[in-house]
Amino acid sequence: MKKVILILCLILSQIGVGQTYFTRTGFTEFKASVKAFEPVEAKNNSTTVILKTQSGDIAAQLFISAFKFRVALMQEHFNENYMDSDKFPKAVFRGKIENFDLNSISGTSELDLKGTLTVRNVKKEIQTKAKVSKEGDKIRLQSTFIVEPGDFEIKIPNIVKKKIADKIIISIDYELVEKK
Amino acid sequence: MFKKYFSLVTILCLAISPLSAQDDLLDELNEETIQETKFELPAFKAMKIGNLQSTKVADKGDLYLYVSHRFGTLQNGIETFFGLDEANTKIQLAYGLWEGVQLSIGRESLNQTYSSALKVRLAKQSDQMPFNLVAYGTANINTQISKTGFPALKFGDRMSYATQLLVSRRFSDRFSFLVAPSYIRQNLQNLNLTRASNHNQLAMGLGGRLKISKRMSINLDYAYNFNRDSRSLYNDPLTIGVDIETGGHVFQLLFSNAQSTNEPGFLSNAEGNWENGNIFFGFNIVRVF
Repeated sequence: MKKVILILCLILSQIGVGQTYFTRTGFTEFKASVKAFEPVEAKNNSTTVILKTQSGDIAAQLFISAFKFRVALMQEHFNENYMDSDKFPKAVFRGKIENFDLNSISGTSELDLKGTLTVRNVKKEIQTKAKVSKEGDKIRLQSTFIVEPGDFEIKIPNIVKKKIADKIIISIDYELVEKK
Repeated sequence: MFKKYFSLVTILCLAISPLSAQDDLLDELNEETIQETKFELPAFKAMKIGNLQSTKVADKGDLYLYVSHRFGTLQNGIETFFGLDEANTKIQLAYGLWEGVQLSIGRESLNQTYSSALKVRLAKQSDQMPFNLVAYGTANINTQISKTGFPALKFGDRMSYATQLLVSRRFSDRFSFLVAPSYIRQNLQNLNLTRASNHNQLAMGLGGRLKISKRMSINLDYAYNFNRDSRSLYNDPLTIGVDIETGGHVFQLLFSNAQSTNEPGFLSNAEGNWENGNIFFGFNIVRVF
């Protein structure tokens, strides 16, 4: 009897987790361009994202080396000199969309997105707004936030300091489908 | 008794579930993430180690400008300002035509040589492939020699060629090494200098780099020519240099006993000699567009 209760209880507590939405082809972009200089920006089209619709819990990760630049040499320097992507291959975000309720979303809702971004093993708290919309059976999530190279102990040598912005704009656009 | 136990278990379950959900999400994320083949970063920063070609190939659509300078011999000292008065300049454009295919054209003032080269990447070092493999071929036209000096000169005599297989490995983020079995064809041999005619030559190139900081490395390359006559006035080329990388540029400062920067030039006809200080100071500047 006790065992039955225990098992029942465990099952019940797991049901509460609800549905999972995910993608493997999320779009993440960053821009560190300075006007009048070569654009310093790159796109990543293989971000993996998981969203729990019950709680609004969200996690995302991407491979640093999958960021594509316009000039391949810049990409190489980005990986080798700034991000040390052989030592720190991934960037991970773990957070929560506040007051997330799948059923009450109609059109586009703007919700608070909070969490921790880990790059180069350094953690940074992120607080921003996220646009959440329902498109058919997909959930679309868009957001923008700003980080600085110093947040993740990335050193920029003096010789290129003028060509790289101090504020880096990160944009995300994820289309999540239900995981069955 | 039963009620007490039930409530205890319930509290326990509720307490456990949000905790496990936290960690589960990152685990679940890792399960969803597809691990792709992880390619190593390139073994060398520039297309050349010093004189020898490296396994680096221009990426598709990238245009590189190479300006190479080799001053005259240091041996003559202040008389030629350590070779400044006798500089050899080469300008070269390299373009990534397709992924892993690079085409280049160049002009060198030594022997007024036009050169063209094709570089094709065959394999890239990754967690499944231990080496970078690149094939390289170049054809050179010497436009300086004239009928005055060589009355029987035909156009074909102006040509020289080199074909190389470049095999490199990035052993660590600091150390990379390359071997380059090479075949050189010289249509014209000046017997006053080579003593015996060796139109077809085989050589083995060796090169390496050691990074001393994120943006600087010490480079060395050498080639052993198997077919050079022992009485030949030419030597095997040895080049020692430093790479300094700044954003879109790479500066390569070097000393070599070869003045030519073209493969048929330095692999066959290195005119200098390290032993008696008959060496050349030079640099390559690499700029990407």
